[in-house]
Amino acid sequence: MTGSPAPPSRRGRGIPAGPGGRSDGWAAFSYLLSGMIVYGGIGWVLGHWVIHSALVFPLGMVLGLALATVLVVFRFGRS
Amino acid sequence: MTPDARLSAVAGGCHIFSGCGYNAPGLGDFIFKPIFSIGPWHVTKPELLMVISVVVVVGFFWAAFAKPKLVPRGAQNIGEIGIMFIRDQILRPMIGKRGDRFLPYLVSLFFFIWIMNIMEIIPVAQFPVPAHIGFVWTLVGLTWLTYVTVGIRVKGPIGFFKDMVPSGVPWWILWLLAPIIWFSDILVRPFTLGVRLFANMFAGHILLLVFYLATWYFVSASIGIVYAAGSLAMVIVLTGFELLIQALQAFIFTILTAFYIGDSIESAH
Repeated sequence: MTGSPAPPSRRGRGIPAGPGGRSDGWAAFSYLLSGMIVYGGIGWVLGHWVIHSALVFPLGMVLGLALATVLVVFRFGRS
Repeated sequence: MTPDARLSAVAGGCHIFSGCGYNAPGLGDFIFKPIFSIGPWHVTKPELLMVISVVVVVGFFWAAFAKPKLVPRGAQNIGEIGIMFIRDQILRPMIGKRGDRFLPYLVSLFFFIWIMNIMEIIPVAQFPVPAHIGFVWTLVGLTWLTYVTVGIRVKGPIGFFKDMVPSGVPWWILWLLAPIIWFSDILVRPFTLGVRLFANMFAGHILLLVFYLATWYFVSASIGIVYAAGSLAMVIVLTGFELLIQALQAFIFTILTAFYIGDSIESAH
């Protein structure tokens, strides 16, 4: 059955171009932002109170961004 | 500059080449003095506009469906088109048929936000209510409570959090990714949902103000009148543009609400 549209499933693939398609973009953006906030936050707390180094905060943010990218690939990248 | 101060400055005849600078719009244009007070409650223009929006939306749907006819006419016709649009363009693609019980919420949400946004280009009103972020957080709070409550009721408190995590992720990286997902779905979602609506209406209001005020500022018996004409053209173009943005933002807010609810209902994938 080539040419027939995929059934509407929302997570990841499935969403056709159109108004609804933007939800995926926002979800991916939300993950990237969350990754940086969560791991950047952990890094900031560690650097401020435990390790006493300004380096941990940016390291945490980069790690968070990397993990969030992995997450985006897992959720949206496979078809 | 508050809107009242703005009004007196405009009436004072501050034009180009009269030794008076252009008064750019700013945050002050969003701070209103109370129009009237009910006891300790001081009612400002955005609050009044919100109440008017409620009356318009409730009044319209009341008029449309108080005495429904089998063959719809007039207001009922338009009301049915509106509800069918929300059902077929937003609810069904996002949640599916079992989401039909959320139709009343989504219809109310869409038309309420849309009418509040439209207030921006209604003469005299001329202020989009969601440009004050407090109004937006209330709507976001309702949406957040809805999709969290529905998710916990459908999947249980543990299943709700477990289900957010995508399947097929190796366990050794899963525990690193899970905090990102929870943070994103519980905290970032409502934040972006609210800020998107607020920022669009806020920026739209500023944009219109810039060209409205510039038009008035440039009006004078000089070359300024040419600039004024250009600025006026921008006012007309941007008013049309804002008309589109107002509907679009109401649509996006509603469709994302539907998407989040659908996400809460849908079982593992």
